[in-house]
Amino acid sequence: MAAATPRKRRTWTLDRVSFMLVFLGLPLAIYLTFVVSPLLQAIGYSFTNWSGFNSNQSFVGLDNYVRLADDAVFMTAVRNNVLMALVLPVLVIVLALALATLVTVGGSSYGQTKGIKGAGFYRVVSFFPYAVPAIIVGIMWGLIFDPSSGLVNGILTGLGLEQFGSYPWLGDSRTAMPVMLFVMMWSFVGFYMVLFVAAIKAIPAEVFEAARIDGAGRFRTAIAITVPLIRENVQTAWIYLGIIAIDAFVFAQALNPNGGPENSTLTMSQRLLVTAFEKGQFGMACAMGVVMGVLTMGFAGIVFLINNVTGGRDRVTMA
Amino acid sequence: MTTPRITRRTLIGGSLATAALGALTACAGTASGPATSATAAASTSADNPFGVAKGSAVDAVIFKGGYGSDYCDFAANIMKTKMDVTATINTTTTIAQELQPRFVGGNPPDVIDNSGAGQIGTATIIDQLEDLTSVIDAPNYEGTKIRDTLYAGVLEPGTFNGKLANINYVMTVYAIWYSQSLFDDNSWTPPKTWDEAYELGAKAKEKGKYLLLWGKEAATYYLTSLLASAIKAGGDEVRLNIENLKPGCYTDQEAVKGVFAGLGKVISAGYMKPGGSGTQFTAAQAQWSNAQDALLYPSGSWIENEMKSQTKSGFEMTGMPELGLSASDAMPYETLHAEAGEPFIVPSKGKNPAGGKEFMRAMLSKEAATNFSKTRLAPTIVKGLVPADGFGSTALVSQVKMLDGAGSNVFALQSNAYYGFNKDQLVVMNSFLDGKIDATKTLADLQAIVDRAAKDSSIAKIEIK
Repeated sequence: MAAATPRKRRTWTLDRVSFMLVFLGLPLAIYLTFVVSPLLQAIGYSFTNWSGFNSNQSFVGLDNYVRLADDAVFMTAVRNNVLMALVLPVLVIVLALALATLVTVGGSSYGQTKGIKGAGFYRVVSFFPYAVPAIIVGIMWGLIFDPSSGLVNGILTGLGLEQFGSYPWLGDSRTAMPVMLFVMMWSFVGFYMVLFVAAIKAIPAEVFEAARIDGAGRFRTAIAITVPLIRENVQTAWIYLGIIAIDAFVFAQALNPNGGPENSTLTMSQRLLVTAFEKGQFGMACAMGVVMGVLTMGFAGIVFLINNVTGGRDRVTMA
Repeated sequence: MTTPRITRRTLIGGSLATAALGALTACAGTASGPATSATAAASTSADNPFGVAKGSAVDAVIFKGGYGSDYCDFAANIMKTKMDVTATINTTTTIAQELQPRFVGGNPPDVIDNSGAGQIGTATIIDQLEDLTSVIDAPNYEGTKIRDTLYAGVLEPGTFNGKLANINYVMTVYAIWYSQSLFDDNSWTPPKTWDEAYELGAKAKEKGKYLLLWGKEAATYYLTSLLASAIKAGGDEVRLNIENLKPGCYTDQEAVKGVFAGLGKVISAGYMKPGGSGTQFTAAQAQWSNAQDALLYPSGSWIENEMKSQTKSGFEMTGMPELGLSASDAMPYETLHAEAGEPFIVPSKGKNPAGGKEFMRAMLSKEAATNFSKTRLAPTIVKGLVPADGFGSTALVSQVKMLDGAGSNVFALQSNAYYGFNKDQLVVMNSFLDGKIDATKTLADLQAIVDRAAKDSSIAKIEIK
């Protein structure tokens, strides 16, 4: 039957051509010009010794990458970023999931499934930090953790903990990184809570009611019902947070512009900026950019892999 | 509820790639050939030493930091009146990021105030800069040769392998600053050596104050101060070893070890206000200038202008030369670490390099330099323009007094800025001031930074004399 019907010939009408130009050609051209070509250019520069301030550049092969591997400071930055990419997503997702569960299904055990009292209020309040630009978040927390006049040490000394009289939270290599992770978590948790709330709301209420009738408690419901059903959202969040952690430029720059005590909060992006514009080594800086890009891709790949291996491939369907 | 997995995954993949690309595209640029449209030069004469064309335009890009930029507008007006050359003044806080594409494209501005945290490293662009010796040898608008109007030693920090690449406009005196009124009220005398400073620390403690304090971004102010101390104690040889990255310049020189031990003693006695490694530096400086938590602060003379709005009234900010080691120091107590800062450069490939030089001539005129000192309360490299009352500033009076007292015993420190060591040194100095590492470990770590650069063949070395 199908063979008998001649394939409908597509004609190149003006309407059709202009549609393709505007919705396919234009975005593609912009993408190629502003994303793909600079990307290729940057990879190309990473194999040169270009200073960035003249047009002399010669090919040095993998020299920049070899020197990066030997550069103790850059490797410290890589380790810091990797640590952040491992810790930040866990922190934010666990907290955001807990909050999202509370404001959606954590309420009264009788009647309709609903969030705790005042859920709407909490939802709005916890989204606030995300509405504040990162640089302002960084500066604000920098002041809160100020050793002499900060709120944190003020409260701690007020409680009689005199040893915190001038404790440098951001200036001690033991606490600088935890503080930075805390600040980033504070900033992002509201957004991911809202993301999870939306996902949980999409789950039919009957599922929760059925679980409750079967005698499942709130915690059991959360890990056995909610999480598997919003698995895709968790994966998305995990990848986004990983990307944020591998960059982390604004927070690092606001809290410890010099990389922190013993370089304990130094990020690759900070080192890239210094290498390019202060040291005038654009070739080397491009190599750092490539390393960042590869790490980001690798991180996403690992998250996909883990999700698949742990059963993310089996679709959870509710027909 | 089946989620269309492919769609979402594609979306994630797409946004992922975009994010990764963002990191990469940040450092891409275009390398293109040089622009060729130089303004035709007029013939040179005594009144027009660089042959700048009448009615031509000068493109100036000025770093807008603590000194602002209106002093450049002032100089541009003088140039307009005297030479009929118009300067367009653009300002930025990030010189390197803003001008990098213009250097690559071969169309840099005619004159740049290459200053601030985002300055372009001189080593990176030195081949593309005019030698400004002709400016220094030209007569100023009053008819005196400019070279004869300058303080001693001000050209050295801008001279690299014999080429005067930077004219550093503002005279910066590195000193230990204190409140004259606070010292008078407590009958304290300013210390002259690290031992005297230690004794003063004990007296400060009695009043519930610290001797010193620091902020995290400015921990290397102490390195600058200690190096000056060491040079005073051990003589010029100490400076040459440090400046030329000699092996053991930190770890094996007795004078350097002596002054670091001196500060180490102050720190372990608890006379350094703790918490500096977590304090933003201007906040720390305000603890000195406003709250008076500490007595002394080592810094360049920009400190008065920087802290103007956060200085206690009646503070009477005064500077004294860096601390010595003992009475048998190699150089006199009045010896000063003073160098000209705020480097102005004239790129060779600009449209109007002669105009760039003419702009510098206007900046160095008596009228423009006096205007700067009067409005910014800092001396320029042009000497003899600050009146005895220092326009009402005790800090400015003390600077001129220190400069006059030092005479020719003035030195500069170039290598740390030239090789861009500051970021790495900050880490070490913060740990030292925090009491985490002792003087010996600090010197070993500082030596490691120097050794790494000395061994790196990709870093072009200069000989500093």
